[in-house]
Amino acid sequence: MQSLTLPFIAIAGLAVLGYFLAKSRALQVSGGDIRKLVSLPSQHALNAVLATIVPAVAAIFLISLYVRLTDGTGSWFFQFVVIGLAVTGLALSLIGIKTETRARTFAERWILGLLIFASTIAILTTIGIVFSMLFETFNFFGQYDWRDFFFSTNWSPNFRGNSDLGIIPLLWGTLYISFIALAFAVPVGLFAAIYLSEYAGPRMRAVAKPAIEVLAGIPTIVYGLFALITVGPFLRDYFAAPMGFGQSASSVMTAGLVMGVMLIPFVSSLSDDIINAVPQAMRDGSLGLGATKSETIRQVVVPAALPGIVGAVLLAASRAIGETMIVVLGAGAAARLSLNPFEAMTTVTVKIVSQLTGDTDFASPETLVAFALGLTLFVITLGLNVLALYIVRKYREQYE
Amino acid sequence: MEDMYHADRAMSTQQDIKIKADKVQVYYADNHAIKDVDVEIADKTVTAFIGPSGCGKSTFLRCLNRMNDTIDICRVEGDITIDGEDIYDPKVDPVQLRAKVGMVFQKPNPFPKSIYDNVAYGPKIHGLARNKAELDEIVEKSLRKAALWNEAKDRLTAPGTGLSGGQQQRLCIARAIATAPEVLLMDEPCSALDPIATAQVEELIDELRQSYSVVIVTHSMQQAARVSQKTAFFHLGNLVEYDDTDKIFTNPEDSRTESYISGRIG
Amino acid sequence: MKTSLLAADARTKKRNAAEARFKAYGFAAIIVAMLALLILLTSVLGNGMSSFRQTYIALDVALPEEKLDKSGVRDLSVMSKVTTIGYAPILRNALLDALAAQGIETELSNKDIGNMISKEAAATVRNKVLANPDLVGQTVSFDVLASGRIDGYFKGRVTMESAALDGNTSPEALMIAQALADAGVMETKFNWNFFVWPDASDQRPEAAGLGVAILGSLYMMIVVLVLALPIGVASSIYLEEFAPKNRWTDLIEVNISNLAAVPSIVYGILGLAIFINFMEFNQSSPLVGGLVLTLMTLPTIIISTRAALKSVPPSIRDAALGVGASKMQSVFHHVLPLAAPGILTGTIIGLAQALGETAPLLLIGMVAFVREYPAAYTPESGLFGEASTALPVQVFNWTQRSDPAFVERASGAIITLLVFLLIMNAVAIYLRRRFERRW
Repeated sequence: MQSLTLPFIAIAGLAVLGYFLAKSRALQVSGGDIRKLVSLPSQHALNAVLATIVPAVAAIFLISLYVRLTDGTGSWFFQFVVIGLAVTGLALSLIGIKTETRARTFAERWILGLLIFASTIAILTTIGIVFSMLFETFNFFGQYDWRDFFFSTNWSPNFRGNSDLGIIPLLWGTLYISFIALAFAVPVGLFAAIYLSEYAGPRMRAVAKPAIEVLAGIPTIVYGLFALITVGPFLRDYFAAPMGFGQSASSVMTAGLVMGVMLIPFVSSLSDDIINAVPQAMRDGSLGLGATKSETIRQVVVPAALPGIVGAVLLAASRAIGETMIVVLGAGAAARLSLNPFEAMTTVTVKIVSQLTGDTDFASPETLVAFALGLTLFVITLGLNVLALYIVRKYREQYE
Repeated sequence: MEDMYHADRAMSTQQDIKIKADKVQVYYADNHAIKDVDVEIADKTVTAFIGPSGCGKSTFLRCLNRMNDTIDICRVEGDITIDGEDIYDPKVDPVQLRAKVGMVFQKPNPFPKSIYDNVAYGPKIHGLARNKAELDEIVEKSLRKAALWNEAKDRLTAPGTGLSGGQQQRLCIARAIATAPEVLLMDEPCSALDPIATAQVEELIDELRQSYSVVIVTHSMQQAARVSQKTAFFHLGNLVEYDDTDKIFTNPEDSRTESYISGRIG
Repeated sequence: MKTSLLAADARTKKRNAAEARFKAYGFAAIIVAMLALLILLTSVLGNGMSSFRQTYIALDVALPEEKLDKSGVRDLSVMSKVTTIGYAPILRNALLDALAAQGIETELSNKDIGNMISKEAAATVRNKVLANPDLVGQTVSFDVLASGRIDGYFKGRVTMESAALDGNTSPEALMIAQALADAGVMETKFNWNFFVWPDASDQRPEAAGLGVAILGSLYMMIVVLVLALPIGVASSIYLEEFAPKNRWTDLIEVNISNLAAVPSIVYGILGLAIFINFMEFNQSSPLVGGLVLTLMTLPTIIISTRAALKSVPPSIRDAALGVGASKMQSVFHHVLPLAAPGILTGTIIGLAQALGETAPLLLIGMVAFVREYPAAYTPESGLFGEASTALPVQVFNWTQRSDPAFVERASGAIITLLVFLLIMNAVAIYLRRRFERRW
């Protein structure tokens, strides 16, 4: 890393130098009358700065990548290449300064290139995500049979080897918790959205809307702590223990309910948008026939908004499945296939965290399994997201 | 003798009063939108409300089935009676009122359901049919009355939104008829339609006159002249003149009416 | 079938009852949501407010030369050989003297009395002495931390009953503490050190602070701001103003909306695999944390920036092009400044999200126990390369400790985090109100 300090300083210095040189040279070729120039001196200067920096910095990134891939080390040769590029860029742009040079067009081409590069970072991120997991997942399946991973109902990692790494109990916990969360959040969020957009007066709206938005802005670690210190013990002392369902504060119910609270604003704001997209003419048509407000909502507005609402629920489900902190703190760590909602269970995300924190050995299947879990999680949520976004988009087009 | 005379007159000109408005005022927040409107609307007649944009004709129309209730800032004063019953009486449920006073809107607004479900919606919520057969009958009768049966009978399960604009509007009329209303309010029902569809709907309005009291808001004077027997001219929230359609268009009393009809204001 | 409007028929009554029920469900949903928020906030505030106060003992500590600097030459290298274990008895004696001075009698052993003082206190005094060797031989006034149990007693967490069952304290100790508090020697006061001190070990909850976590979060926010804002704005400008409508830009768009919904833990895996395992950046460093959060925040910033750019009417662009500006100039001179408030608002909201994010940071090792304040730059580890922790991760860390005093610390850390978020969101709302333009 240290080997980068020198090139960076050199590039910065050359860029500053280029700025002033190009400016003065442009003035010089114009003979002091800038009206003779096709491009302004500042545009020549900008061109020189960009010509110095862009190729050299790009070279730094490419070289670092090359060095990492070949497991080599940075050498003076690379530094020479980088600084050489910067000097070349600077020199070429300075030589090119004539009265008729279209420096603005050149500078704008550099900028457009940078803009395009920036927009590809999103793509690179996705590629990075997929490859970072795919690679280690292959390693994992080299050491552990994929059939055991997908179909074994037992999860008991053992750092001395011979682990059972079946994903089914984790998926079960994930789905069970998500189900409870959605069973709580969807009706509450939907009804809240309906009440706010169809019934509430302006004063009610002024209080309730920001309150629900506050819920949306609270970080998940806060919900996690809430599950751990308040909801968990409460459910254990007042429900699970008296009813004989168990003695665990961490439970599917704890995590599910708290996650439900977290999802309320998500469901309600999405539904709110979707319900508002239903044209007023639709409501008028129904009210004009003598339907009550609730009949209008239930039989006209909600059916009309249904695709959008389904999309919103799918997005919420994807959120629930991928949520980590609430389940880490609220659900427990024991992989279990059970129906009792007051029992501690665990999820895919919890296991990703537990397998990748602490002492990790990237050669053992117990660590590598986290990447296979991550990839499974990514594929599931990606599927849900793509489906949801497609449905919502189709729905919006209908009323545009 | 006196009674005979009255009865005779009522028969001949069909002057049974269905709706009576007395000193109606409408406010939107601080804006006085309708001022002192008195009007008597006859049964089995087409009454047209005409006037320049923003004159309050639609607002007044929406008072007749209390659709203005759905707008928070809107306030209505004065008396409106239907068959002698004050529709703004606190005992009146707007839901029941709207079943009795149906409405067709400016833009066709079929629900995103099948044609059948669109028409059956009103009878279902009001409980007008005891079984499926009766419901089928209501749907067919309504579609026939709306002159849509022949076009729609083979595609009752197709979505209502798939029809053409004119068909959609006739579907909305069928939907309104299906609740067995006594009054039909139409808010510029042809403004979103092409001339051919407009002609079909106008023909339909003329037929509906046999069974209902029809009130139609229109910005087309020709349409008012074609379909209505009575015409009311609104201007700046006032009811300027209300008379037989023939009279309004040939020999208006108020100079403002004359200006509007001859195209000088509006 | 003539019915009067004035009397509601049975069916209408039934329908109206259904209407009222439906409305009540909606109202109940709102109440449930508000109640959840209320309980959540009460729980956090109720548990956490006490972490901003801490119990201190005002002691006059005699610093005997024969114990702390036998040579008497005040040579630091020699003096630093006396560990905190050497300082502990000095503090205990000071406390015993204070008890005697107040006339408080007790049957507790000297060891138990000593346990009333935090183990951290000896380190504090030692550091002060090493910083100023001239103190040796004098009697100096120190405000030293009381132990976690004593502190808990004054905050209501520890009671006489619980102390009776507790190996680390006893009802007698609490009674002495009460007597000391009555005499004004022991005082529970506002604890600025909570925001300054680094984390402390499991046995010393009373000394644990947020200093390193706040610093780490700050560094990460700097990285996110410096990277995510320019990249986000640049890619939005390209997509919104320059990109041709084709498959490739469609792909980018779909991709961005999907990235916005990818679970945050997946970004953690990305960070671990790419930045730590492949690029070999330092584990636990704010640089890696910042990079991961940058990638997470980018979609948020891009989506809001594009909305802001879209809201600038085309007439502005036409006007600029009309006077002969290039497309690039029209964007940078006119459109971008007009969209700036919207972009800024979106960026702040994105930063707020990033600040509260925990899961990905766990995977890149920010759960480590760090007591050294990380430097922004060192030649060995580069920019933001020193191990650090972050606010939300510190919360998680403290929830994993066994001493119940850490629950209070975790809640206090959350309050601190929420205050930061509140400030950021308030700024965003202010910007939106102040500069929002309706075209």
